Amino acid sequence: MLMTDDSAPFRDAFDQVLATVAEPAWLTTRRRAEMDRFALLGFPTRRQEAWRFTDLEPLIAAPPLPAPPLPAAGGGDGPAPASLAPWLLPAPTHRLVLVDGRFAPALSAGGALPTGVWLAPVAETLRRRPDMLEGAFGDGEEAFAALNAALFTDGVVLALEPGVVLETPVEIIHHTMSAAHARLHIALGAGAQATVVETAMGTGGGWGNTVGVISLGAGAVLTHLHIQAEDPAACHTAAVRAALADQARYEACALITGGRLSRRDMAVTLAGDGAQFRLHGAYLLDGEQEATLSVRADHLGLGCRTEEVVKGVLAGASHGVFLGTVAVAPGADGTDARQLNRNLLLSPQARVDTKPELEILADDVKCSHGATVGSLDEASLFYLQARGIDPETARRMLVEAFAVDAIDAAGLPDALAALARRHLRRWLDGGAS
Amino acid sequence: MSDSATANRPASNAPSAGLLEGIVQAEGYKYGFITDVETEDAPPGLNEDTVRFISAKKGEPAWLLEWRLKAFRRWQTMAPPDWAKLDIAPIDYQAASYYSAPKAASGPKSLDEVDPELLKTYEKLGIPLGERAALAGVAVDAVFDSVSVATTFKDKLADLGIIFCSFGEAVREHPELVRRYLGSVVPQGDNFFAALNSAVFSDGSFVYVPAGVRCPMELSTYFRINAAKTGQFERTLLVADRGAYVSYLEGCTAPQRDENQLHAAVVELVALEDAEIKYATVQNWYPGDENGKGGIYNFVTKRGACRGARSKISWAQVETGSAITWKYPSCLLEGEGSTGAFYSVAITNNRQQADTGTKMIHIGRDTSSTVISKGISAGRGQNTYRGQVKVLSNADGARNYTQCDSLLIGKRCGAHTVPYIDVRHPGAKVEHEATTSKISEDQMFYCQQRGLTAEDALSLIVNGFCKEVLNELPMEFAVEAQKLLAVSLEGSVG
Repeated sequence: MLMTDDSAPFRDAFDQVLATVAEPAWLTTRRRAEMDRFALLGFPTRRQEAWRFTDLEPLIAAPPLPAPPLPAAGGGDGPAPASLAPWLLPAPTHRLVLVDGRFAPALSAGGALPTGVWLAPVAETLRRRPDMLEGAFGDGEEAFAALNAALFTDGVVLALEPGVVLETPVEIIHHTMSAAHARLHIALGAGAQATVVETAMGTGGGWGNTVGVISLGAGAVLTHLHIQAEDPAACHTAAVRAALADQARYEACALITGGRLSRRDMAVTLAGDGAQFRLHGAYLLDGEQEATLSVRADHLGLGCRTEEVVKGVLAGASHGVFLGTVAVAPGADGTDARQLNRNLLLSPQARVDTKPELEILADDVKCSHGATVGSLDEASLFYLQARGIDPETARRMLVEAFAVDAIDAAGLPDALAALARRHLRRWLDGGAS
Repeated sequence: MSDSATANRPASNAPSAGLLEGIVQAEGYKYGFITDVETEDAPPGLNEDTVRFISAKKGEPAWLLEWRLKAFRRWQTMAPPDWAKLDIAPIDYQAASYYSAPKAASGPKSLDEVDPELLKTYEKLGIPLGERAALAGVAVDAVFDSVSVATTFKDKLADLGIIFCSFGEAVREHPELVRRYLGSVVPQGDNFFAALNSAVFSDGSFVYVPAGVRCPMELSTYFRINAAKTGQFERTLLVADRGAYVSYLEGCTAPQRDENQLHAAVVELVALEDAEIKYATVQNWYPGDENGKGGIYNFVTKRGACRGARSKISWAQVETGSAITWKYPSCLLEGEGSTGAFYSVAITNNRQQADTGTKMIHIGRDTSSTVISKGISAGRGQNTYRGQVKVLSNADGARNYTQCDSLLIGKRCGAHTVPYIDVRHPGAKVEHEATTSKISEDQMFYCQQRGLTAEDALSLIVNGFCKEVLNELPMEFAVEAQKLLAVSLEGSVG
């Protein structure tokens, strides 16, 4: 099988990374191991159950490679600050912008951090506090995560000491033009609270491949809004792993509208008792876009809760995929898990695949899942038109009502909800047929 | 001869431990006995000569032998499916014998000529034959291992032009029908087990209901697996011509056996314009003992094609037996306005594993389908619902409703739901719902407080849970199925 080694195109980039970064020896060893792992695994194929609906051809045919670092002092080909404006949260925020996976200080905006908060780029963290990330580039990852661990150049680290509440949202912008392998490490101590907004965007047919590692201590609360608004020609792959201790809460919201090919894999382990995971989200696609949202919730502790509500709006010849798994381990009694995936097909060429899966090995559980696929309700359309609203506007209103539900139910702080709604409207203005 | 049956019987008075704990102390398999009949077996092993041997034994025409050989060659290139949530010990396909027929000089002409040992077996199983069949109003084509032994009611059915006979007879008497429809729903290379069946199928049932005829009685076939080390490869083909109606029952029990026996059947249904087929199964093959020793491997391909406009196919199944079940009765909804339905109750107890469900493929306009699945897991059983609803791009107005509920009894069992929904048309409406829960202590307490024993209470609750499916079974089967649910869960409450 060495003849078809998928790692070949990345070997030069890998050597370049090793040559340019100055980092601890353990990390270099780790990178090599991850590169070998990727060589062994190769890109996933549709023969693999988890990937059977995802067409990776656009990516594999010519994977975008990381560009050399921008010249220092923020000049060169970076995005104009004004181009980021529509995507930003109103101040105050702690903003970190990554351009092609590297921290761009000129575009970022800090603000004083309270004590007990570590917020810094990964590269800087590796220089100043390498101990914080030792062991964070873990084993047993999937092919894309392995490639990320081998090639990453930067990312963001957010660590809160126990009991610290960071009121100001942390805003992370991934701006990708070529290829970016960025990392996000979030560790909240017991009782700590933070809000993170992650926006993926860019120009040209780039490839953003991020890995997020989240660890929430007992009673910690993380609110995490993810907006994926990549260029329509871009590829986007992201893996998020979260581990929740007793009573921890992970409130996630994902809004996916960008990219030719996109895939978000979330794996949440509810390890402690009484942990809670909520995911609200929507994928809105048009043209030839394909997006997969894959969510796995592993219930290990007692009395944990999972609630997922994911909406899909598919126009043009787009293809939406929802893969949801709730797995309840033996002894995880008192589990309460709900999964709902609802899809709206707006055109004859659009397609949806949904697979809400349950794996239950404990008996004292309440688990349910539901999935629906349909088109706009003719009666509602008629009702609106009977009141003088033109068909186009009526359709838009119904689609917006369908999708905005996912944002509203997420219970985001106002500024985040407004940002998500603004993004939803932008999509409706741009493309919904 | 039936020593193994008694040897495997566990102590029946196990101490009870808690209300819902200590679950699953199954009584010995009630239908486990072995009939002593001389058989004429094929030598163990599987190669082209085996296929030729079977075909020659059955006096088949050349085209069918070719058809089998094509399937066999295809099978050799295939690998067993590994995607199901099943833990299957490797199967040595060369160790089994692929043909066994009760020894008889020439076929029996009447019941008197039937081997009395066989008749006794049927009696023990309560299969109505002869007079009893007439009283029960059931026409039985009883399949004993591989060769059809006795068929009743043939004349009555023949008057209406209905053909109901063994597969072998159909090949001889109605080759044009067999040739036209065989493999038209489940092609030879459809999957590993279907290919194996296509190569070595022994016998089975054939039904043809002519245009406009409503079959006046429930047709039924009992399958039994008997001779040791003989995999059973049934082939059933059922064709309902334009406007015809037929209801078909299939029930199974098998003698207790320590060695795993492979059963890879293929059932093909074809419904033409305005035709309706109801196919019901009660499957109660030997599930193995409480330690997972023995039991039948039930790897079955069942599929119906709604070829004509407004045709209907409905599958109803009660699956309580077998060590491992791999079975997905499906509907290809080709005709405009055709309807498919799947109603299923699957129980896994002790170490049983079941991966079962359905596929509803919406191809034509205004097609609709309903899926109701009830999975019950007890002991260390693993129960998976795996279903697919696919709406292709021409299926305007397609409609599907799926509901799959799981019930867990005990701490060591598992219930899994794997639905695939693939929609390529905006005019489709697809809904899927699933729930998983356990029998609550409250429900049990309430029933027991009113004087029911724990087992009766469990049986009552489980029957209520399954009601939507049991209602879809023909009356005779519904009664049998309810008893079967209770028997299958015996010992589940202490």
